[in-house]
Amino acid sequence: MIEFMFALAIGMLFGIGVFQLLRRDLIKAAIGFAILFSAINLFFVAVGAFEGEYAPYVSNVEAGRQTSDPLIQALILTAIVVSFGSFSLVLGLVNIISLRYGTVDSNAVNNLKH
Amino acid sequence: MGENIFVLGTLVAPLAGAVVALLFAKNNYAQRLVGLIASIVAWIFSTRVLLQVHQTGVQTYELGNWSPPYGIVLVADSLGGLFAFMVTTIMIGGMLYTLHSHDRCMTYPAFVPLFLLMEVGLVGAMLTGDLFTLFVFMELMVLASVSLTAISDDRFGLEAALKYILISSMGTLFLLLGVAAMYAALGTLNMADMARILLTGERPFLAPASALMLLCAFLLKSAVFPFHFWQPDFHTTAPTPVSAMLSSIVVKVGVYGIIRLVTLLFIVEAPLLQRWLALLGIIGVIFGSLGALRTYNAKRMLAYSTFAQIGFILVGIGWGNTLAMIGAIVYAFNHAFIKSSLLMLMGVVASYTKIKTANFASIGGIGHKLPPLTGWLVLVGGLSLAGVPPLNGFISKLALIRGGVVQQDWINLILLVGAGILTLIYMIRAWQHIFQREPTPETTPAKEEGDSLLAPMLLVIICLILGIVLAEPLLQLVTATVREIGDPNTYISAVNLPVGRP
Repeated sequence: MIEFMFALAIGMLFGIGVFQLLRRDLIKAAIGFAILFSAINLFFVAVGAFEGEYAPYVSNVEAGRQTSDPLIQALILTAIVVSFGSFSLVLGLVNIISLRYGTVDSNAVNNLKH
Repeated sequence: MGENIFVLGTLVAPLAGAVVALLFAKNNYAQRLVGLIASIVAWIFSTRVLLQVHQTGVQTYELGNWSPPYGIVLVADSLGGLFAFMVTTIMIGGMLYTLHSHDRCMTYPAFVPLFLLMEVGLVGAMLTGDLFTLFVFMELMVLASVSLTAISDDRFGLEAALKYILISSMGTLFLLLGVAAMYAALGTLNMADMARILLTGERPFLAPASALMLLCAFLLKSAVFPFHFWQPDFHTTAPTPVSAMLSSIVVKVGVYGIIRLVTLLFIVEAPLLQRWLALLGIIGVIFGSLGALRTYNAKRMLAYSTFAQIGFILVGIGWGNTLAMIGAIVYAFNHAFIKSSLLMLMGVVASYTKIKTANFASIGGIGHKLPPLTGWLVLVGGLSLAGVPPLNGFISKLALIRGGVVQQDWINLILLVGAGILTLIYMIRAWQHIFQREPTPETTPAKEEGDSLLAPMLLVIICLILGIVLAEPLLQLVTATVREIGDPNTYISAVNLPVGRP
């Protein structure tokens, strides 16, 4: 049951993230970007942890039962840092765009077409 | 094994340079000098690594002495070593251009550190033997190049940067998803370990899906057909040395990843992937060449041309026989030098205009005011891009076409040769427009002083040398490379994997 809920949560985050990313409002797009990254991070969690397994290093493992994968935690931490960095860079760019163009509507920010 | 410090040095030299350059935030010229020195040191290290690879085999370095597959290991095989050598060489050109440039954005204290961080990301992505680290380095490269474009003198740089970071982060996201799926399927992140498991023919549930996700991410990074739309904007608006780097070596990261994908990780699925790669490549060749023919801006023309040239490389990978692979890698190597020199030359031309722009309307006929050498350099670079003998573009096109003849894929061959002629047309058109026409009323009056010709001149000289003197050694080097990556066991056995794991 918990695995199904997990899959559902990841899928919903993905859907919401993609929807937000395609919005005209650049700030909402940036937020969608962050949501998408958390969907991936959650997927990473799902890769390493399974129901009925023990926490690694801290629990005494009974015979025949496994611990969860500890490597995943390190990976997710790195992924979170990277996603945080890119999210803040996106927000910074949107901030400068809003100052320079006076709007965050992506339809108004299309001078590249000439 | 696993102790070659120079592999790490190639990566650490620009990183240290970035940190040291930040210390000189007050003195801009010192910053640029630090950047130049750091990139030269990185070049020395990567040259040494490349030589060692060809003398004694694959070089590795285990970070923190953690043994693989748990620790991160840097692997310089002949492919990664060659690409890292290419990156560091072109990067010296970029730093040299920065040294004598008058752009305002290069006076920002963050410019040189970001430029060096871009190099760290590039070299790291090409030398790492760990898929997750590849993701981290690619993201580092993306963030650095986005920041560099956002501070560009071109006022549209900001828009292009936002466009690129949103799109490219989708690519990075796919990469991360692919990495997670690979980990779920195989329980390892080490590329050699993955290759070892996949080579046994075992196909866990998520592995084919992750192959596609990784492929999409790499295609997006190198701006191949369905994912190309951000590329002309981004490469046009970036500051000159940055756009030279973007168009020449940053797109090669994707090429490198694709070569790894079809020769190391997914050898069994490779024919299927390669058929698609050839198709996407040929579409890119046609659309890129036609786009370059019709554009209004010299830098934009070269960006479209990059789109076409990456198509050539992909067609070579798609053919997949030994000669075609040699052609693809030689093409990737030579194109980096040609394209970076041409973009820098266009940057020099644009730097003589009052308001810096490379629009054909503004630079038409400006050539009479430039140093006379500029015209010759642009002509040589353009002919090299079009593949006219005896320049290095000819060598790479010849090597590629040899592969196509072996493959007997005549339709694609005809299209490639036709696109080569289109290349000649648009390069000559641009050259005549800038250097042979009389200045028109729209031509902005030229400034007295522009950017230095030193860096593009050196790169054009390298192009000449690669075409005349070093063509045969380069082909032999790449032949050895292709022979080595043709057998994934070389890569796998070089990484110090524990024996007897399931």
